[in-house]
Amino acid sequence: MSALHAVGLPEAEIRTRARTGTAAAFPAADDYGHTLYGDEGRPAADPLDRARLVPPVFVPQRLEKLIDLGREPLFSDVELATTVGGFASALPLYVSAFGSTQVASRDLGVAAARQAGRLGLPMVIGENIVPVQGYGRAETDEQRALLRRIEAYAGELPDGLGGLVVQQSTEDADAEVWNLVYSDPGTRGLLESGRLGFELKVGQGAKPGLGGMTVLPRAEAARLADRFQLQEVFGPDDPRVLRSGSPGTFTDEILRQQIRLMRNNFPHARVWVKLPPARDVAAAAAVAWAAGADAVTVDGAEGGSGWAPSAFPAQVGLPLHECLRRVSPTGCLLAAGRIWEGARAAKALALGATAVGLGRAALLAVDEDPQDGLARLVECLALELRLITSALGVYSTGALTPEDVWFGAGPETAGAAYRQMEGHLRG
Amino acid sequence: MNTPFETPQLPHPRQHLTSPVTRGALRLQGGLLTAARQFLRDNGFTELLPPIIGPVTDPGNRGAKQVDIDYYGHRYKLMTSAILYKQASLLAFDKIFYVAPNVRLEPVETAGTGRHLTEFHQLDVEVAGATREDILQLIEDLVRHMARHVVTEHAEDLEQLGRDPGAFTDLINTAFDRISHATAVERLHELGHGQSPDAELDWPGEALLSGKASRPFFVTDYPKGSRGFYDRESLEHPGVLRNFDLIAPEGYGELCSGSERESDYARIVARIRETGENPAKYAWYLETAREGIPASSGFGIGLQRLTRYIAGLDAVWQASAFPKLVGTVSP
Repeated sequence: MSALHAVGLPEAEIRTRARTGTAAAFPAADDYGHTLYGDEGRPAADPLDRARLVPPVFVPQRLEKLIDLGREPLFSDVELATTVGGFASALPLYVSAFGSTQVASRDLGVAAARQAGRLGLPMVIGENIVPVQGYGRAETDEQRALLRRIEAYAGELPDGLGGLVVQQSTEDADAEVWNLVYSDPGTRGLLESGRLGFELKVGQGAKPGLGGMTVLPRAEAARLADRFQLQEVFGPDDPRVLRSGSPGTFTDEILRQQIRLMRNNFPHARVWVKLPPARDVAAAAAVAWAAGADAVTVDGAEGGSGWAPSAFPAQVGLPLHECLRRVSPTGCLLAAGRIWEGARAAKALALGATAVGLGRAALLAVDEDPQDGLARLVECLALELRLITSALGVYSTGALTPEDVWFGAGPETAGAAYRQMEGHLRG
Repeated sequence: MNTPFETPQLPHPRQHLTSPVTRGALRLQGGLLTAARQFLRDNGFTELLPPIIGPVTDPGNRGAKQVDIDYYGHRYKLMTSAILYKQASLLAFDKIFYVAPNVRLEPVETAGTGRHLTEFHQLDVEVAGATREDILQLIEDLVRHMARHVVTEHAEDLEQLGRDPGAFTDLINTAFDRISHATAVERLHELGHGQSPDAELDWPGEALLSGKASRPFFVTDYPKGSRGFYDRESLEHPGVLRNFDLIAPEGYGELCSGSERESDYARIVARIRETGENPAKYAWYLETAREGIPASSGFGIGLQRLTRYIAGLDAVWQASAFPKLVGTVSP
């Protein structure tokens, strides 16, 4: 375990899951029989957390399952395997990109890739692999780190499952990250088995409307002055400066053509598009699917491990549930933003997502136990998904519907907060 | 999908260079070049020596990686094609050509196509003020002249290579067909091939069409999103490019790509964005375009590919003295 911390996530609970797995889905077994249980009253971080999943009494789909099985179905009968952005996945889960922060780099990234590969979960790699330096092919630490993570992932991947997705933003385009990966003989196996994808990063959850930001030592920054904007936001005497990339200019035509170009240039790769929690997220998602994207990822404003100006996570961008409410999926919709346990995941799936992304939670779990931390976190989440899905009377997460989620009605509830927020947004 | 992307085994350089097939093919290549230079000079073209490196190069290559070099601490590129320089060169002369070396680190999926080299040469031609019609006619006349030269001057080489000169009768005597990309897609669908209407013709699709032809033919009007930003978008039909490929018959596939070019600064910037890049890296080119570059049309003929077709070789690497293939270390 390192000094890694995640703001806005229940870090202790995530670390417990990484250590104990499915046991953490329940109260301590030792207390069983002599404790009275109820809602622990854990403060909800956002409307999606506050919303409740509400099972019905009448469950016609359970009857169908009963007839199919010839016995009463149990939660263990829930089928979680699905297709995530063109890749077969054992669970409606993928590991999302960790961002360019130093915490995501090197050993943790490799350990996360190894565990995600073993679990057969699709994984996105995207840490401005970059552009910050680099002459020649795979000569820099960043490029080697990227290829090492690809190897770690592919080396553990079971046959027929998973897929590796490499992200590129406008600023990464300069380093031709996709071309580097697509033309590297090391990715041949993934390509041949149809398990390589590229994600166009249109924006991100933590700072919609802004490009990548990194804090750099002054000496290193001087070398990049011709390619990136550098600001002395920490003061003239501080040894560090802020490097800012461009968010990239998009119109519907620019987005459409970028996706078509990806499909044209990388015909054996899947195409994913990552959207920020923007007010026109529905229109952008519709353009992406129509242009042939295999998946559209929506990053709620709660998401993102990246370094962002404090005003942004707190007050800029739509929260995940509102993004999901606005988007009408005509293709595979993926949702990310503070996902770490089964109930929040189930709500996102019920609101239209095909799968949910584990970002910072995955990183914490790997930090807790580089060998099995992510696997245990995922086991626990999968058990909860099975429990919840069966409780809602269905036996695959694809059968969940918005009806399963209740945002509340009274003035004290999440629903009020939700409407208030809508009022603010429209005002 | 999921085809084996196997790279062929190259012979040892000594074995390759002393092979009668290599020698015959290289003599033919020399003949093709001689004929091309003669034809172009006779038609008022100036040959320029192409740049090898620059701060940017042609980004419009399917999945291929550019080679970066450290140029006094700045990232420079080996030319994937000299297209940007061709446009700028028209400031000096109205009709120019290069015999230009190109390096593209092609993706592994091209390993088994028989027609991709990572280092190759193009006969690169650009004409100020020319329309696509003008340039298609120029290519047809040029290729016909080159083929005629080989048939008359290299009969012995063709015979030694087992290539029947009758293969070029149609090429020499009959106008090249022109079909639009949309028609090509329709034909492929009729043949049961699932070609995307938004993308370049894929290699198997192109081979299918090529295999049914007896002389080279043009495919025109590729959709935007399938080509580089410099191919001009039709004003009358937005989304359609004023470009083309020349496809060889007998399954040999694409020989040449070309287009009317975008020359308007604002359109170039918007098109660059549509390819996902930050236009800043194209600073010198954009500054030149902002001050004005001539409207033009042009093309690049792959010399090893043309040699392969004329010589009737199994694979394009046989048309190079020092072939370089995807992922293979060779001299």
